[in-house]
Parts: sequence; structure tokens; C-alpha cells
Amino acid sequence: MIKRRDFLKLSALATPGALTFGNVFAQSDAIKFGCPVPMSGAFAANGKYADMGMKLVLQKYGKVLGKNLTYTTIDTEGKPATAVRKLQEAVDQGTHFFAGGILSSESLAMGKEAEKTKSIFITTAGADEITGSECNAATFRWSVPTFGAIAQTVRPLLEKLPKAKRWYTITPQYVFGDGLLNAAKDVFKEKGIEHVGNSYHSLAEKEFSGYLTNAMAAKPDVLLLLNFGSQASDALRQAVSFGMKNNMTILMAWASGLEQFEALGPDICDGVYFGAQYWHAIDSPFNKEFVSFVNSSLKIDPNYSFAGSYICTKIVLDAIIKANSTDPKAVIAAMEGVKYEGLTGVEEIRKGDHQVIKNYYLLKGKAKSKMRNKNDFADIVSFGKSFLPLDKTMCKMT
Amino acid sequence: MNIYILQIANGIGIGMLYFLLAVGLSIVFGLLRFVNFSHGAFYLIGAYFSFQLGEMGLNFWWSLLVAPLIVGVFAWLVEKFVLRHIYALPHHFHILFTVGLALVLQEAVISYWGPLGNNISPPDILQGVVMLGSFIFPKYRLFVIAVTAVMALVLWWVLEGTRLGAIVRAGSESTEMVSLLGLNIDRIFSLVFALGALTAGLAGALAAPIRGVDPFMGVEALGIAFVVVVIGGLGSFFGALAGGLLVGIVQSLMSTIWSEGAHLMIYVAMAAVMLLRPNGLFGRSS
Repeated sequence: MIKRRDFLKLSALATPGALTFGNVFAQSDAIKFGCPVPMSGAFAANGKYADMGMKLVLQKYGKVLGKNLTYTTIDTEGKPATAVRKLQEAVDQGTHFFAGGILSSESLAMGKEAEKTKSIFITTAGADEITGSECNAATFRWSVPTFGAIAQTVRPLLEKLPKAKRWYTITPQYVFGDGLLNAAKDVFKEKGIEHVGNSYHSLAEKEFSGYLTNAMAAKPDVLLLLNFGSQASDALRQAVSFGMKNNMTILMAWASGLEQFEALGPDICDGVYFGAQYWHAIDSPFNKEFVSFVNSSLKIDPNYSFAGSYICTKIVLDAIIKANSTDPKAVIAAMEGVKYEGLTGVEEIRKGDHQVIKNYYLLKGKAKSKMRNKNDFADIVSFGKSFLPLDKTMCKMT
Repeated sequence: MNIYILQIANGIGIGMLYFLLAVGLSIVFGLLRFVNFSHGAFYLIGAYFSFQLGEMGLNFWWSLLVAPLIVGVFAWLVEKFVLRHIYALPHHFHILFTVGLALVLQEAVISYWGPLGNNISPPDILQGVVMLGSFIFPKYRLFVIAVTAVMALVLWWVLEGTRLGAIVRAGSESTEMVSLLGLNIDRIFSLVFALGALTAGLAGALAAPIRGVDPFMGVEALGIAFVVVVIGGLGSFFGALAGGLLVGIVQSLMSTIWSEGAHLMIYVAMAAVMLLRPNGLFGRSS
């Protein structure tokens, strides 16, 4: 549980003036950022931490090119239409730099809008299309897409469990879930795995017992959860209550990181495999520096939503400095092809599709008795970089 | 065992919890003609009080008892000091106040416990599963079915077999008549409102080990509660029971038949019932 005082301290970051200490209001030429994330609904916890991540990095930079940095929280409610409408409103008020869009559906919609309005949008959402068939010059992505998430979780787990030949999947029915499912099916086909069933579910679902009953009836060796955020937590919690951890291996292909482990607790996570974009214990120079900074600033370990938003905003800020301009066209040029020390080691923004090339991690939850501190929920089992070659992404940058 | 039989059994488990979630909303409407949009928030704080009491070292059984009681007392205070002053106002004032109260409670939960969800483990005796051949069911869900069934019997007895129940039923027909008999109708209103909130709080406390607690669980619960009472008929105890079971079984069965539409089918079932019986399965025509 987050301590009340800690949360109030974190929330205080959101108060007007906390960011630029008041003089922001007098600056009409300030550099304006927008954080379009779900602040209400099922994915609000991710949104609230992403919001904090953006605030902290803007606070750290203070001024860029002699200008103050301002920022607006945009509650997308996890709905593409709402996200686009609110992004348009922010652009009308002079904001052209956006980092957010936790869900793939809203990110795809906002990326198109960013291009139309000559803005920049950088996201942590997962659907392959974002830097694939729907790519555009204004959109960048820090997170590994669904193809890489499956490659770095299903493949290493198959190597560890060569006898696990029957897999069952539970999938949210939208572009992100389908991306993960299709990538998983390709690996199953290649490796001779029997896909014994899949249960699709809606984005509004909270009750997973029916889908788990289907899965148990299929008697799989591995239950592969392809959902995200609180839905993935609910599915896992209910799977454990049905005793499934005792009869099969459970893999959550795209965990939302530390916040998810905190919400579930070690008893549920113990022995479960998780795919992760980010983990606070990653052994890279910049991550160590970042974790130390967040520890000293906020007295917390950074989670994925927080870290993703922080690094996405930082990438844009560094590009503004490099370009010595706030013209989005010049900033885009400065972002393309850049190599930098990132949270997962050296990261690179591929020019052809605006995809950040970075590691993806396979974690294994550990027992409470083996945790060295309150956030030591998992060990890193393996990691690596898996991306479709540029000519296979279907990205035609305009 | 046939998958459909498994799903029906599972659906009964879900449905009994839905019944407990919705029955308070229905009873409050039956007597007060007041649609309480903060009902989901009572479910939310019931779950969080249960979580907090557990964190403070109170055992699960006590927290299951104490958390709903706290919710009931809180609701009683809200009714006594605020709601009774707005009963006479048009419906949109009721909606405005109760939606506002729900938002305040949700934000209070976020401020105190943070935006992340938390897990609650069932007590050791209720952990694990029951296996009957190929039928596997979590012990805790069986416990929930048993508790909700007992609560259904108690509520039915209170409403049908006690003097209080007779007054409540009479009050739902004519508050003036009950007042003329010298009974304090305001006190009855407070009591019924608190009872409705208490059942929602109990549903929250019971649901917490199944789905964890998170600050947004009240909103989704309110949606389900409305579906259940619309299907069953506003104000009807048996309607809430039938509606809850119907929704649970439809949701569970559809997980096998058409999994992507399982959630949607809850609303399709509601629409179908409304077309055939506009006042719900057990509703009375106004």
C-alpha cells in the first residue's frame, strides 16, 4: 500500500505552480507539453503514474532554450475519440509536444491527430501498427511492440519448458491484444506448439472466471495472459484462486511492472512469469542514476508507467535542445536515428519507423521469503531486443 | 463434466454476488423512490474498509462483519443529515448529489490508499479449490455463495416476516398512511437506506479477495447493479435475486459460447427483458 503521506507528496507535484514555480503563468512563449493518458477508468492507475513521470522530468529540466516548460494533464479516459478531441483542444491552446497514450487504440488515434496538427507524439503503447502500417512522421514509440514482447517472453519460456506443448491464451479484443495473439500464434506454429484455445474478452471485463473455466477445461501446459493493466491483474488473481498455478505455468506477456506487483502481492506473483518493458532493478548506468534520483526526490521506486513517461518526455526535451528549436519538424529530425543512454541500456530511435530499439525483459515472480526489499518482487530471467526488420514492419513514412 | 454445466455453476457464484450488490439499490428505490447513484461507492468503501481492517491486523471474519457495519453507519449519517433534505427536490438533484458523493468517496479512497489496486487474501481455511471429478471451484467462491444465500434468506425474512418489513412494504405503497399510523417514517427511511448501503458494503468486502480492491471498482459495480435491478424490476427483492443470477449465468455461459461478447451480452439480456417486460421480471407497473 502506498503510504498516505507519500501519495499526498506525489500528488503535490500536480498542484499548479509546482512545476515552474509560478512564473510559468507569465510566459506566453513557454514550451508546452501534454500528457494524454487515462486518468479515470480501468487504466487510471497507469495514467496517474505516467502523469507524475512527466512532471518530474519537466521539473528536473526547469528551462530549455531559455524558456519555461509547462504541461497539461489530458484525461483520455482510455477512449480514442475522447483522446483525439482533447488533444485537438490542447493543440488549439499551443501545445505541440505529447507523451502518453497508454492504450494502443487511443495511441493510434492520437498519433494520426498529431501528424495532422504538426505536433509530436511519443507513446508507450504496444500495437505493432503504431510503428508499422499506421506509422507517421509525428509519432514515436519508446516501448517494444507486441512482436518483440512475444519474442522475448514466449521463446525463452519455451526453451526453459521444452515439454510445454499445449498453450491457452486469454486476449483482450482490440488492436493490442490481437497483435500479441498473432505474434504468439506465429511462434506456436514455428515451434510446433498446440494452441488449445483462446478466450477473447472486452476491454470492460473484470470477471474472468468464465474464461478461466474454458482454459481449465482445455488442460493446457501454459496459460498465456495477453491482457494489460488491471485486467491482467484480475485474470491472474482469479487464475491463482482457481488453483491454476499448481497445474500449469502462467505467463503474462505484458506486465505493467512494479505497480502491478504491488497490487497483486508476492503470494500471487510467486512462480509466475512476466514480460516487462521496464524493471527498476535493470543494471544500466542511466537506470541506476534514474532510480537514485526518483528515490531521493519521491521516496519511491519508479514503476513502468512512471519511467515510460519520464523517458519519453526526456527524449523530446533532449531533441529540442539538440535541434536548438521548438519547431516540431526540426525536433523530429533531431530525434531520428539518435542513440542515447536509456533506461534499458543504449537505446536507439530507428529513423525508418520511429521505433526505439531497446531491451524487453522476462521476469519471474519470487516468494515473499526471498524478497530482499519490499519491491524485490521478481528476478530478471532473460532479456533481449527483438524487432521486425524495417522492410517487414509495413511502415511507409510520409 | 460438461463445460456448460461448469459455467452455469460458475455463473451462480457470480450472480449471487451481483444480487447482494444490487438488492440494496432495489430496496432503497422500493421504499424511498430514490435512485442512489452512490450505491457503487458504498460497495467501494466496503471493500476498502475490509482491506484496511485486515492491514490493521483484524482477522478476515471480523473485517467481514465490521466493514459493512461502518458503511451502514456512514450511509445512515448521510441520509439523516443530507439526503432527507433533498427528497422533495426534483430527481436531477438526487442524481447530482449522489453522483457527487460517489466521486468524493472515490477521490478520498485515492488520496488515502493511492491509485493502485491492492490484494486481499482469503483466510487459510478458504484458500484452494474444491474438486468434484472435473469440477474445480475455489473454496472462497463457494463461501461467497453460502454467505449471499444466507443474506438473501435473512433479507427475505426481514422484509416478509417482520413488523419492520411490513412497515417498509406499507411505506413503499404510501408513506402518508404509515405516518398517519403514528410511525416515524423518517427513521424507517434512514434504516432502510443504511441497510441498502450495508449490503453493498458487504458485497464489496466479499468481492475484495476475488478481484482485489481498486479505486474505480465502484463505478463498474454501479453499472452491474443497475443492470440487475432493471432486469429484475426496480424495488423487487426477488427481482434482484433473479436479475443477479440471470446476469451471472449469461456472462459465464457466454464466456464459452461467444467469449468476446460475454460482457456485451449482459446488456443484451437487459435489453431483451426490457422489450418483453418493460418493468422487469418482477417489477410492478407504475
